[in-house]
Amino acid sequence: MHHTKPLCPKPPSNASTMASPSIYTSPGFNFTNELRNNFMAEKGLPLPKATSTGTTIVGCLFKDGIILGADTRATEGPIVADKNCEKIHYITESIRCCGAGTAADTEFTTALISSNMELHALSIGRKPRVVTAMTMLKQMLFRNQGRIGAALVLGGVDSTGPHLFTIHPHGSTDKLPYVTMGSGSLAAMAVFESGWQPNMERAAALDLVKAAISAGIFNDLGSGSNIDACIITESQTDMLRNVEMPNPRVQKERGYTFRRGTTAWKTESVRDLVVKEEITFVGGDAMDTT
Amino acid sequence: MNSFAERFSTTSATAQMRIAQAAAADEEEFDGAMWGSDAGFGSLAKGVPSFSVPAVADPTSFLRLHTDDHADPNCRIKIKHGTTTLAFRFQGGVIVAVDSRATAGSYIASGTVKKVIEINPYLLGTMAGGAADCQYWETYLGMHCRLHELRNRERISVSAASKYLSNLVYGYKGMGLSMGTMICGWDKTGPAVFYVDSDGTRLKGDLFSVGSGSTHAYGVLDQGYRWDLTDEEAQELGRRSIYAAGHRDAYSGNTCNLYHVKEDGWKFIGNYDISQMHYDGPGDVPGAPGGGYGYDIRVEGRNSSNPPAVAAAA
Amino acid sequence: MSIMELNGGSVVAMVGKDCVAIASDLRLGNQALSVATNFQKIFPVTDRIYLGLPGLATDVTTLRERFRFRVNMYTIKEEREIEPETFAHLVSSTLYEHRFGPYYIEPVMAGLSKTPSGGVKPFIAATDLIGCLNFAKDFVVAGTASTKLYGVAEGLWEPDLEPEDLFETISQTLLNAVDRDAFSGWGCIVHVITKDKVITRTLKGRMD
Repeated sequence: MHHTKPLCPKPPSNASTMASPSIYTSPGFNFTNELRNNFMAEKGLPLPKATSTGTTIVGCLFKDGIILGADTRATEGPIVADKNCEKIHYITESIRCCGAGTAADTEFTTALISSNMELHALSIGRKPRVVTAMTMLKQMLFRNQGRIGAALVLGGVDSTGPHLFTIHPHGSTDKLPYVTMGSGSLAAMAVFESGWQPNMERAAALDLVKAAISAGIFNDLGSGSNIDACIITESQTDMLRNVEMPNPRVQKERGYTFRRGTTAWKTESVRDLVVKEEITFVGGDAMDTT
Repeated sequence: MNSFAERFSTTSATAQMRIAQAAAADEEEFDGAMWGSDAGFGSLAKGVPSFSVPAVADPTSFLRLHTDDHADPNCRIKIKHGTTTLAFRFQGGVIVAVDSRATAGSYIASGTVKKVIEINPYLLGTMAGGAADCQYWETYLGMHCRLHELRNRERISVSAASKYLSNLVYGYKGMGLSMGTMICGWDKTGPAVFYVDSDGTRLKGDLFSVGSGSTHAYGVLDQGYRWDLTDEEAQELGRRSIYAAGHRDAYSGNTCNLYHVKEDGWKFIGNYDISQMHYDGPGDVPGAPGGGYGYDIRVEGRNSSNPPAVAAAA
Repeated sequence: MSIMELNGGSVVAMVGKDCVAIASDLRLGNQALSVATNFQKIFPVTDRIYLGLPGLATDVTTLRERFRFRVNMYTIKEEREIEPETFAHLVSSTLYEHRFGPYYIEPVMAGLSKTPSGGVKPFIAATDLIGCLNFAKDFVVAGTASTKLYGVAEGLWEPDLEPEDLFETISQTLLNAVDRDAFSGWGCIVHVITKDKVITRTLKGRMD
């Protein structure tokens, strides 16, 4: 009896389109869970809340460059998920970006643009410009039609001078001398509107940024904890992490350490991480190696 | 004036009777229709207290919009739900057993809720659904059971008391009341259990369980139920059933409250921690087999992952 | 009812003095019905990294295998064990890849990283379901009892706890938090990771 089936199965004609469990899958987003998740959403199971930064982020122009400011609270609905997170992201040495909105989106969007800016800088052999970063960001956000929930304040200094932008989740941008974003933007903008002047000194401008963030921290429930600031000038960038900490945790008067043996447990297993090796000689003489 | 009170009042009334008459006179709206003789519509007409309602066009749908967390988990007012209650009739009376957990969403709001409402020394009501609804209306029922006693010089039957409650809640049908209750007691007919809920259902039966853990409780209950159970066996069956529900159902647990109704009225048997029953059993109580109820406690050394020593050696 | 509450479960991780602890409950439920009392949610990644995956049970199993695969690939290519910080970013980017069709998991990691001087440094982190990293210096929580865990942990945690004291603190935090949560509980497991050993204990918790 002759089998018509070939002995060797034909290899897939287009290996690259085949779904494979490789870590080298095509870059970009993966939509494989979409169908299942839509089904569950239809059954009335809502999506759990992602961490968002109900934030106060600001930026303003001063005599020598740009100052960016941010609070450090990350929230998950009504819960404070992180009391001291970093919202001023690195783009290049003299370009930084504050993020508000869905925390994961601001984190990954700025990280992606940061690498692309580095590649771009290497390819053109000059210091990259702020508009370039702004264009990359807005094009990415516009391409995703607002589904990437990142609201950004982009600031930096390049060969054409200092620049300050706001970028909205749908991709629109503004270029202004002083900007605020996030849920505390109204409180912060009130400070800027009354206190900002052209050609401010570095110290005065930093005080104004601190006052604007403080307004957000104390008047907006979505913002809180500490103040981060970043001063970017032609010659250098100073990242002032926790430049002010107006909400320190009150020291506990007494501890709550439990007496050892408080918790009743049923079983115990200990995994020893130290590799023990014992050499046992078998027989009297050493091995003959002649 | 109440027709019953009018008919049966005597000229040589005792002091208690005068108080009862005064009470009945205070409630001028109270009439015979309340006693279930008007096809259930009695309470709609007269004699029930009135509540203030929200000042909106449709108070019922307004209430439902903000409290019905089954349909909409995001609604603002969370009503406490989730329960296991059971009651059964047997040769020795009625056993009533309930858990003690109150949940609001996933939050366990309390572990020490009294879900048996002591209506009077001969009547017990159980609580499932809206805690406030059950407490308020079963207390109100107790008041009218007492009035019945004063007017008629005999205790109200369990049947009449439960019918009074069912007619009462039927008058509020569709307006958001939520209760699933068992009215248990002992009257001239012997031990009696009636199931009454806020839809207006009223059922006479030997054995009921109500609440989110009722299926688990029924499993144990059905398996162990007989009419000729001894008192000790029956109490143990009630405890064991509530344990099963408390163990498996997320919305039931914490402790079990056990009551036994006999000819001379109800008696509180005890409060048992469900976790303690899992590990160690209910303690030194009549009817308990000794040892924990928990599966892995019972089968310790006798299951596949932990086989008996003999089998392991073989 | 959210998707997280479909199967229930909670995880907490805490930093101690030269040690970390990670603990979870053992319940697997189908909404209100509890199905199993031995559902593993914490998995060893390397000798010194443990990963907790509270959330939808199907994704717990899927992601466990996915991370095992990716960590193995890393180990083969780099010819060294993955460091906790690196692993946290691996978890983060795996989840963000699924930004528009996420896995319903809120991972919690605990581990010890090696310092250049040959010592160890405690490391804990958590992410949300789309991979937003949260590096905390004290404790991280996730799962259906997270709100309760935040409260208890904020009260009980203190810095520089020795392994045995950290065990008591994390155990009491978890036990008391899950007793107020309908979808977590049914027993607990605790791992305390120290420089030279990992102590794993199952706790005697409420079984309702």
